Amino acid sequence: MRPFRHLDVESVEEACSVLRRYGRRARLNAGGTDLLALLKAEVLPRYPEVIVNIKTIPQMDYITEDDGRLRIGALARLSDIEASLIIREKYKLLSEAAHSVATPQIRHIATIGGNLCQEVRCFYFRYPYEIGGPILCARKGKGPCYAIRGDNRYHSIFGGKRCFAVCPSDMATALCALEGRVVVAGPQGEREIPIEEFYHPLGTHMKEEEMVKEVTIPRLEGAERQVFLKFTLRRPVDFAIVSVAAVITMEGTLCKGARICLGGVAPTPLRAKRAEELLLDEPLTDTVVHRAAEEALLETRPLKKNGYKIEIAKALLKRALSVI
Amino acid sequence: MGEEFRFIGKKIPRQDALDIVTGRVRFLNDIRLPNMLYGHALRSPYAHALIKKVDKSRALRLKGVKAVLTWEDVPDWKGGSRNTTRILDRKVRFVGDVVALVAAETKRLAIEAARLLKVEYEVLPHVLSPDEAMREGAPLLYDEYPGNILPSGVPQWGGPRSLKSVVMGNVEEGLKEAHAIAEGEFRYEHIPNPIPLESPGAIGLWEEPNRMTIWVSDQAFYKHVEYLRRIVGEEIEIRTFGLPCGGSYGSKSMSWQVQLYAVLLSRATGCPVHFSLTKHEHLATFVLRPSSRIKGKVGMKRDGTVTAISGTWLVDTGYYSQTTQAQVAVGCGEAQLAIRSQNWDLRSLIVCTNRTASGIVRGFGGQELKCSLIPLLCLAMAKLDVDPVDFFKKNFAKPGDGYFWRDGLWYTYRGVDPAPVIEEGARRFGWREKWKGWLRPTSVDGQKRRGVGVGIHGNADVGEDASEAYVRLDWNGTATIFSCLTEHGTGQKTNIARMAAEVLQLSMERMRHAPADSLIGPRERGPGGSRMTYAAGSAVIKAAEDAREKLLILAAPLFGTTPEDLDTKDGMVFQRHKPEKRIPWSSILEGTRTVMGYGRFEPDYSISNCLVTFVEVEVDTETGKVDLLKVFNATNAGRIIDPQSLEGQLNGCLGSAGIDTAIFEETIMDGSTGHILNANLVDYKWRTFLELPEIENVILEIPYPTHRFHAVGVGEIATSPGPLAVWMAVCNAVGQFFYEYPLTPERVLAALKRGGKV
Amino acid sequence: MACLPGVIFVIDAMRTLRSIRLIVNGEEKVFKVGRGPGQVKPFETLAETLRETLGLTGTKISCDEGACGACTVIMNGKAVPSCMILTVECDGSKITTIEGLGRGPSGLDPLQQAFIEHTAFQCGFCTPGIIMSARALLNRNPNPGEEEIREALSGHLCRCISHYQVIEAVKEAARKERWERSSDS
Repeated sequence: MRPFRHLDVESVEEACSVLRRYGRRARLNAGGTDLLALLKAEVLPRYPEVIVNIKTIPQMDYITEDDGRLRIGALARLSDIEASLIIREKYKLLSEAAHSVATPQIRHIATIGGNLCQEVRCFYFRYPYEIGGPILCARKGKGPCYAIRGDNRYHSIFGGKRCFAVCPSDMATALCALEGRVVVAGPQGEREIPIEEFYHPLGTHMKEEEMVKEVTIPRLEGAERQVFLKFTLRRPVDFAIVSVAAVITMEGTLCKGARICLGGVAPTPLRAKRAEELLLDEPLTDTVVHRAAEEALLETRPLKKNGYKIEIAKALLKRALSVI
Repeated sequence: MGEEFRFIGKKIPRQDALDIVTGRVRFLNDIRLPNMLYGHALRSPYAHALIKKVDKSRALRLKGVKAVLTWEDVPDWKGGSRNTTRILDRKVRFVGDVVALVAAETKRLAIEAARLLKVEYEVLPHVLSPDEAMREGAPLLYDEYPGNILPSGVPQWGGPRSLKSVVMGNVEEGLKEAHAIAEGEFRYEHIPNPIPLESPGAIGLWEEPNRMTIWVSDQAFYKHVEYLRRIVGEEIEIRTFGLPCGGSYGSKSMSWQVQLYAVLLSRATGCPVHFSLTKHEHLATFVLRPSSRIKGKVGMKRDGTVTAISGTWLVDTGYYSQTTQAQVAVGCGEAQLAIRSQNWDLRSLIVCTNRTASGIVRGFGGQELKCSLIPLLCLAMAKLDVDPVDFFKKNFAKPGDGYFWRDGLWYTYRGVDPAPVIEEGARRFGWREKWKGWLRPTSVDGQKRRGVGVGIHGNADVGEDASEAYVRLDWNGTATIFSCLTEHGTGQKTNIARMAAEVLQLSMERMRHAPADSLIGPRERGPGGSRMTYAAGSAVIKAAEDAREKLLILAAPLFGTTPEDLDTKDGMVFQRHKPEKRIPWSSILEGTRTVMGYGRFEPDYSISNCLVTFVEVEVDTETGKVDLLKVFNATNAGRIIDPQSLEGQLNGCLGSAGIDTAIFEETIMDGSTGHILNANLVDYKWRTFLELPEIENVILEIPYPTHRFHAVGVGEIATSPGPLAVWMAVCNAVGQFFYEYPLTPERVLAALKRGGKV
Repeated sequence: MACLPGVIFVIDAMRTLRSIRLIVNGEEKVFKVGRGPGQVKPFETLAETLRETLGLTGTKISCDEGACGACTVIMNGKAVPSCMILTVECDGSKITTIEGLGRGPSGLDPLQQAFIEHTAFQCGFCTPGIIMSARALLNRNPNPGEEEIREALSGHLCRCISHYQVIEAVKEAARKERWERSSDS
């Protein structure tokens, strides 16, 4: 890699302080499984001068339940989330989502905070320097979007704005169905952002000097049905082409509440609100489920090469609601 | 079989097993030489451009940077099949083509220096598909190749006579006799990459006035001397050392550029230079499979006789060809082995385009051709309801049949009829029960539909090219084999040792290999295709036999008898009828005498191997996903030399850009800019431990008329029938023919929408 | 630059680690952080330190971005991709590489022995990484089922396709170790 300086920080305040001082010249390093790849390929608009190790901040990897919520520290490893007894018992779709990420070796060091903040997987964005790159694109603030008229087979079917890459985070999709919120810390203090509002097509809504501190989920008691489905060409390693996370509350044969989230189809995890409405007070029959799936994928804006995702998304939605 | 062997066919640990499992094997990137520098290339962002100016000044000022080379600093060394591709040129011909080379004390410094180079380009229009390349007025990659069409034929294989087409009989008449005629166009144009795990590279050392030494990572090391000699001329002394190779699957045969980059940087710095590619470079700028398109017409009778085949085979070789003409020649030969028709008019056309080069990959043209030609025959089979297993049984070459081989000469097949192998494979797979007819699924369960398919491949390269070997016997009861290969995964180094051990009746612990050094090894090309077992193996066997005979001649006077009366076992020579009379080698040879055996094999193109692959797939008709459930390979090895490595080779059908090129393996290139977009191991897909199909390898041992052990090689062909079989299985599951690979969810869903029965 | 009350302002020198201590294959190694020879650079990966500074070339680098598993080592009990870890962030860590395996009279780990017997490799480039993941698995779970073995190895690319033999070899090594353990007790 190209040289950089390295700092260990011991508190969130310190980390934010460094970010404030250095701005885009500093990057936080959690698991490193995305950041190091970006640095090696030299695809960021600006190569950082300083890498800030936040793993030296104590007690940021907790997984606990308190009165109203499940709280997960930003540095909680994906393998720990996968294996956590609380999560497997009551928030199992989160465990399944964690399990579906990358490979076991990566999950042993990757963190939930890092997974939420990772960069997009667009071929053009990630085109490495050493084979005639990098490609300067809209997301980097320096050009057009190349995917629009190029190979966009994995890009958004719900449009974008200047950038059309999808949010690659499986944890975001899962959190979205679980009403997850991201707690962000900065020099001004902490604030909470619902996961569906965390992303925009060009990045996240965090300010330059903020960092993810923890993730919270309203406490569940295990009565809800949960499912996480991830469609890929092969397992594991792959990012979702389309994924579905759903939490359904049933009363007898009727659905009393639904939170359904689609991943891999938009720059943000997408709530399928129309589908959720259609399911309310209905039994989950084939007809109902089919209609919900159709409605969820009504307002798509596919690009030249990704229309096939629409069919897959419908199929996945139907499947999720059938097995749930 | 009658014969009882001590080593042949037995489970023996590989000689390098201990080093492999302890991590002690030293691959290219594990080697450190004194004063060694590291090389790196600056690569073009454009698919086609002229280099107007390179400003090296800032790069050269960086501490630790020792040399920067551009096209003006290097000799006029040109590679490729017609030597028209300069080692560094003033023109770049693909995104990622090399503009300049840097040598520095560390790789990181070399990369840093490359970044400091300032290049002025004149961007030229480019062509990224054969259609664009052949269009009237298309920009030319080379002045030498009007229309971007490369000359056909292989000079070393009979020059103008070498195979570039299959033309015989009368196609018009043949079509008239047909009960059904089928026409179509099939494309295997997604240029997959064999992606050996170890990236290509070399260490090069130049010593004045005219000597180059190269540490080679590949399956064989001498052949690089040959390739390089054709490029650098006769006055330069070339020596290669062969390192253990972390996978090649043929592709590292085309390493002349990384080798010469290392040598030229060494020449400029006076130090050895290590030059290896990053994985991104490996995937974007190294060897891909040739792109293959068949547009043709076939006639067939109800009994599966092919009355006529005609068409064009359009091959896109990327920005240059080193082996593509050879792959076309061999592909044409292999087509005749698999399809016994009297009337052919199949003509090839090789085109160059502005992308990284296609070249030698396991399957060597045969896989690419089969995947695009056999589907055409399947169209006809479907019209006549001919079972493809019956078709292959009927149509594969039988002893006495004739075919043109790569040198344009006519050969008479004297191999073994594979029909029993095909039948046995079909039986074990359950083909008759699973096959429901063309475009019909084997079973339907909700949205899941299963289909079966079969593919075939055979290559008459098992006895290809001459081979030599030496075996030296030493007083302490050891034997040293001088051969041409390095270990690259097939276990063949241990196998030639076991063949020699069998002849000499020496335990494997007493078998040695001479260092892999072109100065002392035999002059031959080494393993490639399936030639190691028969061709090179024969040379080793003969060398061992020669050594044994010489030893017994030396021993005879000590026994007072004739050599025919003697035998040797475990370092002891003894009299056959009086085995208690024994003398150790140490007494016969004393301390200073060695026995040197020599063996030579002359080429034999009259024998072919054959492998069929049966597959069962499941297609999810809602998502378009294709899952590979079962793979059955059936082949005849003649005699199994090494059961464990053979299993490994056949399982290898799931690797080296084989079966999965029908499902999810492809190189994704931007069709307008020429960037290879998935040049990394997340986006280029490979099979994982979680999705292993059920695999079974049916290996028959019907003896071949080859060497002492009647064996034949089957290594290379293992990958080739697979993609075709998967294609067939998916067509049957979905109820429609597909015309392109790979069979992605997008293509499957589109086919289902078009009207596959659901 | 405004100073926020109650927050310690960062001074680079205080928070940049001066030296790193690793325990590699049971031996303590201390490195100074810096750009000189034998020192660990801040931008150096664990794979590079192991291979270049310590000469432990058994750990291989292939994709260099964590996807293929060739660089897998065991760190603090877990199989990790050493090419995606900065050495300077490993202070105090216990690391085992392929060179660190091997006990018993043959000097080989039961996994290594089983891999030899089953020829659970072809070119051998992926083998050290696979053995390390398998070792980490058996350390954590001495009686894994086939599915668990595949899961543990799911982050390994073997292009020669040794998978089937690898699975058998891991099963056998697990059996041997369980047997040894029960005969010890």
